[in-house]
Amino acid sequence: MTIKEKGYTHWDGELKDGRFPWWPITRFGIKLTFKRKFFKFLFALTLLPALVWLVGIYISERLEDFSFMVRGDQTDFLNVNPSYFNTYFTNDFLLFMMIMILVFCGAGLISDDLKHNALQLYFARPLKKQDYLFGKAAVIFFFLFILTLVPGLIFILMKLIFAGNFKFINSYPWLPLSIIVYSTLLTSFFALYTLLLSSVGKNRRYVAILIFGIYIFSDIFYGIFYGIFRSQYFSLLSIKVNLQQVGAVLFNQRTPQNVPWLYSLLIILGICVLSGLFLNKKVKGVEIIK
Amino acid sequence: MTAVIQTQNLSKWYGNVLGLSDVTLQIEPGITGILGPNGAGKSTFLKLITGQIKPNIGRVMIHGQNVWNNYAMFAQIGFCPEQDSFYEELTGWQFLTNLLKLHHFSPEDINAKAEIALDIVELTKDKDRVIRSYSRGMRQRLKVGQAIAHDPNIIILDEPLNGLDPLGRRKIIRLIKEYKGEGRMIVVSSHVLPEIEAMTNRIILIHQGKVFAQGDIHYIRDLIETHPHIVSIKCSQSRLLAEKFIGYDYVLKVHFDLQKKSLLVETNNRDKFFSLLPSLFIDNNIEVEEITSPDDNLQAVFDYLIGK
Repeated sequence: MTIKEKGYTHWDGELKDGRFPWWPITRFGIKLTFKRKFFKFLFALTLLPALVWLVGIYISERLEDFSFMVRGDQTDFLNVNPSYFNTYFTNDFLLFMMIMILVFCGAGLISDDLKHNALQLYFARPLKKQDYLFGKAAVIFFFLFILTLVPGLIFILMKLIFAGNFKFINSYPWLPLSIIVYSTLLTSFFALYTLLLSSVGKNRRYVAILIFGIYIFSDIFYGIFYGIFRSQYFSLLSIKVNLQQVGAVLFNQRTPQNVPWLYSLLIILGICVLSGLFLNKKVKGVEIIK
Repeated sequence: MTAVIQTQNLSKWYGNVLGLSDVTLQIEPGITGILGPNGAGKSTFLKLITGQIKPNIGRVMIHGQNVWNNYAMFAQIGFCPEQDSFYEELTGWQFLTNLLKLHHFSPEDINAKAEIALDIVELTKDKDRVIRSYSRGMRQRLKVGQAIAHDPNIIILDEPLNGLDPLGRRKIIRLIKEYKGEGRMIVVSSHVLPEIEAMTNRIILIHQGKVFAQGDIHYIRDLIETHPHIVSIKCSQSRLLAEKFIGYDYVLKVHFDLQKKSLLVETNNRDKFFSLLPSLFIDNNIEVEEITSPDDNLQAVFDYLIGK
């Protein structure tokens, strides 16, 4: 219905179809993260393991050129197999650096919006709550996929290029799928974990401490309880160990703890589901009652 | 005229707190003022009609369509919230363009629309300054700017004049009136009657979550006229002035506030009383320091109207 026309010239541009309504939120989040002090340096540092593993793949195909570096039996040296990938994806340094990335890119994702009352502006626009949350999660997906999925697939590609044949992929045809599934699981878990914590406070520093603290303390508590009770079941308290357990299964390796890996998977999925439910309840247009 | 916004038995509560209760009304094109004291339910009402919160009972229709979960409808609505909602480290330009991106306009349109909006709210010169450095008035204008930038047909402004100096108020009021002239529908809330009066003569009174009265401002004015008003006058010769007031039948009471050193006069005809004042001051050579109406606020009027 036309309300009134009194000389007002309507905008005659074309309204774009909003197929990816979450994308402006993601782009804004990525841009803001790169603006943060030291982030570029930190991110470059996080890519260091990928570089080392890549060099390892190169050396593995040119062992004769590097034989001067190896003493004794060369057969086990730099054997690129699923264990090599598992070590990359589940090593403590990479997981720790991911947490550091989350501290920088994820702590303020929702807490800054809460602090600045920005939710009411978002939700006064053609944007669903799911789009908002997905847009925020996609910021984390962007950074963590660069550290997991992308290097994982590049490793395989480089292995094939350096080897000059398809022997590797013929031996482990399931490996690309393992990389995709593990990267997605790891990234989804960290995305929901970070968004959950980001939605509990308005202060990004407080949220950053929570993201870091919960990860670290979950491992410390495991160490303490294991020291007292000598039961590996306490490893289920540790976020890191749960991820490593599932990672080992997906890469067809022995699990580091003598605990059914299914428990670890259930804990990871449970945290994801609870985080999703909490976020759905928590994120809404803010109502202030005076 | 056909109503653009219709609400039916609209109710919202937060736990035990009643936000809005059984509001059924129709809002027509033009400017409509939502008037009510703090905590009356104005913001709740505005958030319900912008589809930001879900009613517990009832529904809101805009152009005959239910608003709740109707995201396409939000493209037609511009909402200016009461609280500041800024990323302080962004510039005014970045703030506006980032919000426009959520409407899926092309990059050229985003720039064009942001330019127009900043021009309308007179912030073009300051568009590249970070919001942290903006004055209160500039922030309010930027908030109004983000509400109008995407060319909405319906503009909802929640207390847009809050905390502004007189010049800032005048600018926003002029802007709102100009927008009405362009054929938009504007709903504006305030707890200050003269602010609403300066923008529109069509108002809805909300009190304790209920629509108390709806209609022309003159109707409300008539209600208020029957309500005795207290006027405080700080002047050089308050006793002489008190003596002069006694002779007028619309002056009901006169007493002295020793603490504030002012004269408090109660009248049941505010217009006559205020038109009398200049001549009294001039004829008796009285120097006036300040004239205020301590109860010239909505809460006092509401208290009076509901018989408190």
